[in-house]
Amino acid sequence: MSAMAHGDLIEGVVRTSEREVIEISIPGSVDLVVLARFTAATIGARAGFDLDEIDDLRLAVDELSVSFGPLDAETRLRYTFLREGDTVDVRCTREPSDQEGDGGAGHSERDLIDWQQARELSAQLLDELVTTHGREIANGRSVAWLTKERGTGAG
Amino acid sequence: MEGSMTSPPQPADGALDLPTLEVEGELDLAVAPWLRDQLDALYVGGADSIVVDLSAATFLDSTALGVLVSALNRSRERGGVVHLVVQEPQILRVLAITGLEDEFALHKDRVELQRRKDEL
Repeated sequence: MSAMAHGDLIEGVVRTSEREVIEISIPGSVDLVVLARFTAATIGARAGFDLDEIDDLRLAVDELSVSFGPLDAETRLRYTFLREGDTVDVRCTREPSDQEGDGGAGHSERDLIDWQQARELSAQLLDELVTTHGREIANGRSVAWLTKERGTGAG
Repeated sequence: MEGSMTSPPQPADGALDLPTLEVEGELDLAVAPWLRDQLDALYVGGADSIVVDLSAATFLDSTALGVLVSALNRSRERGGVVHLVVQEPQILRVLAITGLEDEFALHKDRVELQRRKDEL
């Protein structure tokens, strides 16, 4: 994990420069997605989010991971958290990119049905939790992204 | 895993007479397969309605919610309901956003669940 920062104490929250980037990369193990949630909570606090907004960002970052479907040992998820003032952008890149965009090799039919259901619920959640979100192919890799501004979203 | 251990499923709750699963911690994509297996176990005896006690759960994502929805569908096919015992605001918010708060039978605690059951 790396961060570019030099700090000030503002209203009880340690805020660094107006712009900072944190990157983490984890193996495709569902047990480790919690690290992305921890990071989201930290950077949300640094953006001045209130507790509800931090909870929303934690869940939204988790949902980015869900959007790729089942994970496996061949996969890595690379998260880039960018904070500019009170706005947080998160990009989650699946490496390597899955050609079909579904993941799922080696998973049962029931697993895949469950994941499809989860993805539909996930889209509903993201619509409400963040300012904007989407998916794209960048440099041949699948990317799920979101932006959350302080004071927006249902919070 | 972030504090997501749970108690074993209880095939029948003495007070409620319904198969009950108590879950605690963060219910995410790491826990969802386990949750699915535990809920499957509740239905083995032919139960139609079940109780999932989320009193000690602190986080619910779409994968774990999807597992609960599958249980809901299974109960409905049998003419039953899924009772959720939940107070955590984050979980209630997830249920509200997805429009599922009226699909499950929600209770703030087991006392309320028992009281409503007695009223039926």
